[in-house]
Amino acid sequence: MFGAGAMTNSITEIREAELLFVIGSNTTEAHPIIAMEMKRAVRRGAKLIVADPRAIWLSDIADWHMQLKPGTDVALLNAMTHVIISEGLVDEDFIAKHTDGFESVVEATRETTPEWAETITSVPAETIREAARAYATTRKAGIYYTLGVTEHTHGTDNVYCLANLVLMTGHLGVRSAGMNPLRGQNNVQGANDAGASPVFYPGYQRVSDPAARAKFEQAWGVELSPDDGMNLNVMMKAMMRGEVKGMYVMGEDIVLSEPNASNIEQGLNNIEFLVVQDIFVNETIRFADVVLPAACFAEKDGVFTNSDRRVQRVRKAVDAPGQARPDWEILCDVARACGYPMPHYKDAGEVYAEFSGLCGQFAGISHERIDEQGGLQWPCPDAEHPGTVTLHGDGPIKGHAPFQATVYRPSKELPDDEYPLLLSTGRTLYHYNAATQTRRSSGAVARQPENFIEMHRKDARKRGLADGQRVRVVSRRGAVLARVNISPRMRFGCVWMPLHFGDANTNYLTNDAGDPVTQTAEYKVCAVRVETVDDEASAAQ
Amino acid sequence: MNTKIETAETKLELEIDGEQVEVRPGATVLEAARELGVEIPVLCHDDRVDPAGCCRMCLVEIEGQRRLQPACTFKASPGMEVKTKTERVARHRRGLLSLYKADHRLDERGRPVSRGVHDKLADHIDTYGTGPELPPVNAPRASRSDENPYIQFDPDACVVCGLCVRYCDEVEAVSAITLFGRGASTTIGTADQRSLLDTSCELCGGCIAVCPTGAMTEKPSLDQPSEQIVRTTCNFCGVGCQLDLHVATVAAPKGPSQTVSQDLGAERSEVVGPQARVSETMKRVVRVTSPEPGTTVNDGNLCVKGRFSYEFIHHEERLTEPLIRGEDGELHPASWADAIARVAEGLHGVKQRYGADALGFVSSSRCTGEENYLMQKLSRAAFGTNNCHQCAAT
Ligand code: SF4
Ligand code: SF4
Ligand code: FES
Repeated sequence: MFGAGAMTNSITEIREAELLFVIGSNTTEAHPIIAMEMKRAVRRGAKLIVADPRAIWLSDIADWHMQLKPGTDVALLNAMTHVIISEGLVDEDFIAKHTDGFESVVEATRETTPEWAETITSVPAETIREAARAYATTRKAGIYYTLGVTEHTHGTDNVYCLANLVLMTGHLGVRSAGMNPLRGQNNVQGANDAGASPVFYPGYQRVSDPAARAKFEQAWGVELSPDDGMNLNVMMKAMMRGEVKGMYVMGEDIVLSEPNASNIEQGLNNIEFLVVQDIFVNETIRFADVVLPAACFAEKDGVFTNSDRRVQRVRKAVDAPGQARPDWEILCDVARACGYPMPHYKDAGEVYAEFSGLCGQFAGISHERIDEQGGLQWPCPDAEHPGTVTLHGDGPIKGHAPFQATVYRPSKELPDDEYPLLLSTGRTLYHYNAATQTRRSSGAVARQPENFIEMHRKDARKRGLADGQRVRVVSRRGAVLARVNISPRMRFGCVWMPLHFGDANTNYLTNDAGDPVTQTAEYKVCAVRVETVDDEASAAQ
Repeated sequence: MNTKIETAETKLELEIDGEQVEVRPGATVLEAARELGVEIPVLCHDDRVDPAGCCRMCLVEIEGQRRLQPACTFKASPGMEVKTKTERVARHRRGLLSLYKADHRLDERGRPVSRGVHDKLADHIDTYGTGPELPPVNAPRASRSDENPYIQFDPDACVVCGLCVRYCDEVEAVSAITLFGRGASTTIGTADQRSLLDTSCELCGGCIAVCPTGAMTEKPSLDQPSEQIVRTTCNFCGVGCQLDLHVATVAAPKGPSQTVSQDLGAERSEVVGPQARVSETMKRVVRVTSPEPGTTVNDGNLCVKGRFSYEFIHHEERLTEPLIRGEDGELHPASWADAIARVAEGLHGVKQRYGADALGFVSSSRCTGEENYLMQKLSRAAFGTNNCHQCAAT
């Protein structure tokens, strides 16, 4: 996007916002403390636009809730764009100074009227108009989004659409405005920053850039591959085809968290060598040749980088159980055993220093400095730099930001006679991802002990299903058991399931079709049917 | 241009205990006092909620006002003269604290009982003293148990300051708890006395964090003092809340918490080798709190995961030793040296047979920045492949 794909603004700016546009983010459940700041802004009079297929909690306090059909975001956003352009609400000055290619967007959205979008999204045209006007004409207007936007076969287009809105209204480099992806996990940002990417070295330096490669070859004392690597979705498919033969998996349960789980399992069966490094037994360990026990966050030192680019310390509070060891120590030992002379770092701070020394925008950050003054937001190019609260204070990082025209394409798999319900997936407040941690919490268990499927009352009635009844949810890829949860929050024809349950893994259902650019899988839209099960146990309950 | 508007704001000047201070219009006397570092005790006040002015703890003398006035709600005005250290104020504080004490359960040393980590009421009694001992009030307040796993309310330790209710309304905005009853028997509860689990409560535990007396406490760590506090970053979502982990030495592992689905445990039992946990005492994380409001990104707040989901740290199902799959197809405990040698051999074998790009390295957004750096370095520098990605690129 505009350089780096991080939140352009800071969490602390949210409370001063005049308008919040929250799309594809059930913020109260996935990012509770950011939601708290949003509620605070709304209490102070900020307007709130929510675009979400479900009537999520935030939609209760929203000024406009656009309850679109899942997977129709591009149509909705292009209609908003159409309104802003046709009503002359664009920031011409900003467009001229800081952007390229506005014409292509004008062209692409000439026909995408709110009335057209209504037929696709089922959001009333007037609501789209009002929301678009409010967004364009409010100065401190920020966009907040998460996986609900990116986990589609058209996820990249969704993000382009949002970026177009930001650019044409000049909502960039302004406090409490901008474009803000909320990161699902504690250190998604930090892992990206550190180069856990098939195309970037640490600090977003391209693998394919000879100068960058030379720099890292020099630093690490070896020759490096000039070829882009495989991203996770591609890697999984290559594994299923038998092209990836060995894997080292750290801190993830790929069977539970990757889509189309039965294919993954098949792939793992065929693989020749698998290392799993984790804190708990997980589903993937069933296939492992070696299991390495790791320390958890309370047992080691390091940094996490949160959604607003804030590098903060993780500090050791207690010893790891038994022989478990911090991941970073294990990795160093493995590298040395593999014949690579990994330095003998005395602590995690030294590792960080090596990393920041190779990446300009992190050069001013060190463990010592964070210990002294708390978290630091990158870019932070030198030890005197205070860190960056709001990105793009003076225009997009690299010259002119390009507009990207997009065209609405339906999701890859839509409901039909055989699989008549549209399934979306997501997270809940009480659980977290594969739930290896939260399923061991009494609160989560008291609240949400097992997998469930939320559905509209009419969909339940049509199938003769009662609240709490056990059903089998079936897609083209697999089936899982869940309890029916009749919910006023659902749209008719749509169902929703959480992703947290290993013994009833929702990812047996989901589609691994990937976005053409990022290959991020389409977790948010696939077609399913619901079957009743003759289950004595559930009848008894 | 935004900045100009902010700095152009006019300030007003007032005097507190003989010292001049400048504040923005609309600031309260309490805020002005803080500017100067003048301590005014409070119970019902918290910056995150609208001031209620109901506990009377913060009363001060203001020139021209016949009665003492609450610093937390009284607005500063130009030329105002405030006195916080007069005998009249001191007498008021002692009298008020006597009243609160009479209405409070006391420990054997005659101090208000407190089962939380912090207790402002007890601190104020230590600092400002009490007046004449008053007979205990013992207002009848129904005590009930609630099946929620985290939050416990002890009516005898409550001073009915209402802060927990206001936090629940205004900050968490779920309005799960409310003040009910009248007069001396007013207390805190849920609508229709339901369990918290049957309300809109999201178990954020904010009521515990704001309670000035420890009447709202955390069930899992009742009466557990902390020996050490370690500041760290939450390991769940991407907000990056700062946490204070409270560490204490406790007797050998408590019984397994029965929270993991049984079949998972059973199905895996053959996978995990024997786990000897023999230590008689061990350091454990016994509680998690947020740093003070206004100091970190979470502004004193936490969600249910950050505040309460720490049981996993000391869970008996943690992996505690390296495992290698044997000829028999089962995983067996091994030494670190053997396990790492096996990893090197396995990865090298694949590289030799099929080339480096037949290897995949899956890093983790759950791990630290340093660990991600090292994982990609392992992939690129030790094996020569860019097939390195993290589990959630979003
Ligand atoms: S429980 Fe604590 S915060 Fe709530 S009213 Fe009582 S003393 Fe105040
Ligand atoms: S406390 Fe809750 S909101 Fe804060 S980082 Fe942890 S999981 Fe996220
Ligand atoms: S703190 Fe001012 S009245 Fe309670």
